[in-house]
Amino acid sequence: MRFDVQRPHVLPLMARRMPQSATQAIDDPAYWSGKVRAVAVGRDVDAFIQVFSHFGPRLKRYLIGLNADDAQADELVQETMLKLWRRAELFDPARASVTTWLFRIARNLFLDRVRGQRHALARQEALDLIEGDDEVDGAEQLLDVARLERAIQGLPPPQARMLRMAYFEAKTHAQIAEELSLPLGTVKSSIRRSFARLKAAMGGCR
Amino acid sequence: MKPHHHIDETTLVSYAAGALSEAFAVVVAAHLALCDECRKTLAQAENIGGHLMRLQAGVPLDDTAVARMLARLPEAGRETAQAGTPARHDPDVLPPALWPHFGPSYRALRWRWLGPGVHYIRGAAIDEDHLMLLRVAPGRCLPMHTHGGSELTMILRGAYDDSLGHFAPGDVADLDSDVEHQPVTAPGVPCVCVAATDAPLRFSGWIARTLQPLFRL
Repeated sequence: MRFDVQRPHVLPLMARRMPQSATQAIDDPAYWSGKVRAVAVGRDVDAFIQVFSHFGPRLKRYLIGLNADDAQADELVQETMLKLWRRAELFDPARASVTTWLFRIARNLFLDRVRGQRHALARQEALDLIEGDDEVDGAEQLLDVARLERAIQGLPPPQARMLRMAYFEAKTHAQIAEELSLPLGTVKSSIRRSFARLKAAMGGCR
Repeated sequence: MKPHHHIDETTLVSYAAGALSEAFAVVVAAHLALCDECRKTLAQAENIGGHLMRLQAGVPLDDTAVARMLARLPEAGRETAQAGTPARHDPDVLPPALWPHFGPSYRALRWRWLGPGVHYIRGAAIDEDHLMLLRVAPGRCLPMHTHGGSELTMILRGAYDDSLGHFAPGDVADLDSDVEHQPVTAPGVPCVCVAATDAPLRFSGWIARTLQPLFRL
């Protein structure tokens, strides 16, 4: 199955949301880890709905970018969040932030349900069981979110565009090259450069 | 096992984004299972994806979303532990990522003859791109070939050498269409590899052209 359907570009570069509360807590990964902890420990429905209300619309935009239709996206948001509810005890803030955890769950459900990769979930679960080395485990602890965000905002527009096409339209690099009428090597080196910059911003990892 | 040849970072970005076809994702997963370095790179690529998602403005959920969500919670069971399969060091066992497509056992593989010294099996249950196991006799020079598209190969047994280096079990060759290479398998045991391709291989030379129809897998 191919995803050649032309889609409007998702949004201008990194549209900033309006602050939703008086505090900037929603930008703090620890705030959301705390909510998931509350779900794990106390089955706290209010905390769960806060996570749902914050991340649900973002997950939906991501899923629509991947080519899910509106109804599929709504359903996959529910299933993604249901997994969070069921697996809250397994969430380990040292391994991933809530946003990255949800991104992975939504991606895997999309591959399974919409793209028909029947073994995507099993493949991912097998990988999740492998004990990471300490460096992998520490990746998120070292992550300076504000610095990563600045690095994302600071990418030159053409690089940012290709990175967004790679992540939010799930296009292969060959498809991006075709769409932008660029050589494949140019697309790859652009994505490699963006990735190197963002990695550098993620706290001294390689 | 510590691989020396890794998956290209751009391929890991595609994997993180969910953009790879199933054939390619299978080979990536087989390598990730034994490569700390690539798992670390993938974790970084997924972090970037997660934070890109967080920084996006959302699309409003439908009006009944919260109510429907709440209605599903009481019946949802809890998953408290994931059962791990105990590590097995049985040399007959294929990497688990390959089981749905080739079964779990080397001995049970049913190889098909492709050419002198070359056997193959086409992966089952693959709808996107092509996945195959190849077994090449030791000390054999494969025809010079290029790829119409991309190819991702992981060595499972044996080894080969080409202009890019020495490839041993666990190593991957992550090749674009512009790479022309001529692998020579190492002496001793046959070289077994799993390969994903998005286009048929193209060979140069008359023997190769004779083989070409067979390779259109």
